[in-house]
Amino acid sequence: MFVRPIRQDDLGSLLELARSAGVGLTTLPASEELLGRRIAASCAALGAEPRPENTSLLFALEDSRNGRVVGICGLEGAVGITEPWYNYRVGLAVHSSRELGIYRKLQTLFLTNDLTGSAELCSLFLHADYRHSNNGGLLSKSRFLFLAEFPERFERRVIAEMRGVADAAGRSPFWESLGRHFFKMEFSEADYLTGIGQKSFIAELMPKHPLYAEFLSEAARAVIGQVHENTRPALAMLSGEGFRYQGYIDIFDGGPTLECELADIRAVRDSRILTAVPGAGVGEGRLWLVSNRRLHGYRACLARTDPTGTELPLSAEVLARLALTPGDSVRAVPLSAKERPE
Amino acid sequence: MLMLRPSRLSDIAAVERIAAASPVGMTSLPVNRETLYRKIQASLDSLAADVRFHGEESYFFVLEDGESGEVVGCSGIVASAGFNEPFYNYRNETIVHASAELGIHNRIHALSLCHDLTGNTLLVAFYIEPRAARGAGADLLSRGRFLFIANHPQRFAERIVAEMMGLTRADGSSPFWDSVGRRFFGIDYQEAELHCGVRGRTFIAELLPQHPLYVPLLSDEAQAAIGQVNPAHEVAFEVLMREGFETDHYIDIFDGGPTLHARTDSIRTIARSRLLKTRRGRQRAGVPHLIANTRLSEFRCLITDLAPPVRDEIELAPTLIERLLLEDGDLVRIAPL
Repeated sequence: MFVRPIRQDDLGSLLELARSAGVGLTTLPASEELLGRRIAASCAALGAEPRPENTSLLFALEDSRNGRVVGICGLEGAVGITEPWYNYRVGLAVHSSRELGIYRKLQTLFLTNDLTGSAELCSLFLHADYRHSNNGGLLSKSRFLFLAEFPERFERRVIAEMRGVADAAGRSPFWESLGRHFFKMEFSEADYLTGIGQKSFIAELMPKHPLYAEFLSEAARAVIGQVHENTRPALAMLSGEGFRYQGYIDIFDGGPTLECELADIRAVRDSRILTAVPGAGVGEGRLWLVSNRRLHGYRACLARTDPTGTELPLSAEVLARLALTPGDSVRAVPLSAKERPE
Repeated sequence: MLMLRPSRLSDIAAVERIAAASPVGMTSLPVNRETLYRKIQASLDSLAADVRFHGEESYFFVLEDGESGEVVGCSGIVASAGFNEPFYNYRNETIVHASAELGIHNRIHALSLCHDLTGNTLLVAFYIEPRAARGAGADLLSRGRFLFIANHPQRFAERIVAEMMGLTRADGSSPFWDSVGRRFFGIDYQEAELHCGVRGRTFIAELLPQHPLYVPLLSDEAQAAIGQVNPAHEVAFEVLMREGFETDHYIDIFDGGPTLHARTDSIRTIARSRLLKTRRGRQRAGVPHLIANTRLSEFRCLITDLAPPVRDEIELAPTLIERLLLEDGDLVRIAPL
């Protein structure tokens, strides 16, 4: 398994992958036109001036045994540049009167564009059959080695929107209590419109004045800043990398937006540049995330190894997967914090 | 025969009895002797003052049963709402959320805290005992004030407002308060009204959110209560509706009852009132009219049958002349009931 930038000829397999996702995955609607556009944008971005506003990338997780695309992930250099980026900021208002003996803390929701110009981790999807053997970690974290390698293509603050709570039928209590009053549409429809790039249209119809969370249903208040059950592993993973919820939530489902400074992301900060040397076979050492440091031919995969000085012993298989010849430079980091070198 | 006159300090016991009978939402009639006493004293002071422009004056009237001399109702006027402090209301607003692209055109009802009506003249403290409310008692008690206003326009603003009590449940709680005020204060509607009766309303209003409230986010029961009049205040409301007051723009911040407003000179009783010279003589029967003298401290207003006068002069029965404390040749103001 390895991660590489998406290619024009991936459209077919990407569509297939999107169809397997079913409804509810905003970031990967099974639309040929939309996916085609995103692939084209990604290919163009690699050749463009290295500036955040030019960066809109998709990466594919490829099964090296059969060449199938089984996962996808994306990176945006700066969000909210071509159209507004909206979040609610969860704030606090204190209503107090000493004379009446009243002291109330009230949660407020302010519609903001505060996170405009942040880099974004997005569009993560892994085929259900491949959710094992650290494939998810590889797919998601491979982006950090790319961020570490090409920081000029990204803004300094990196964000990730986490899917909010929804029931089995895909209904979001937050949407039911808030968005629905302003649009007579189902959450799934709003979610779909978001996926096809219409989010700011909808956002512009959202209430502009600050809201008191007190006015929402109990169920809606309970999910502010909470993630969908299926998203908990992703939350744990990003938390381990240093991402934090700082009070910004999605305007539709109330899910948290996580933030971290690019340079503070564990896998960016701890990544090292090493020289690839032939060595260790499968099953020895710790699990490392390794990339070949290239832009167009970017590749990242996992390897069990341990560096010796400035050298990283890699099996012939891994060298081949990353298109490396011994002596090439690689960027590597232990896959997770607990495997961090002493 | 009922008669409207300014309240005297000797009315205090009767006024207190009436205040006790009035619903709890009437903050202008708190069951508190000290406060009521101050209201009457303020009225006496205002009537005695030489007023060139409306300020902090207030006027307090009682409805007296001519036969028994008993007080059966009261009403008041505050010359300038919020003279010392802002006068708060929610303004009904419509926010249009539209997108041709998405085929959406939503009109969202929002409530915006405002001081728009500050400085307007405010009608207050209207309560009539049920036994007197039959017939034209309520008209006399409410509209008699308009003849007083018409007599002394310099004492009042160009616009007049009146707050109507909103809907309450059988247990006295308010659905609107429960969905709005309670969220910010955590106290009962009745408790809040009690605080306000004694300390004034600004006190609470200043703790309310300054941002507009989106009505669709309120409970269904609270939404249904917006702009609705409490049945206990229906009589007062109907009188003012007939006078041409508008109802749709403002509501009370506590219970969501409507705040009515009208231009002073287009209020029906005022617009149709006439000033006439009186002559002691034979009063010709006709249709019921409100009739008032033009005095201040000795203001009197009652209802009598009059034939519409042809000139600016009218003959009145001696008993009526007496009751209105008139001398031959004095002016009276009349308006058809």
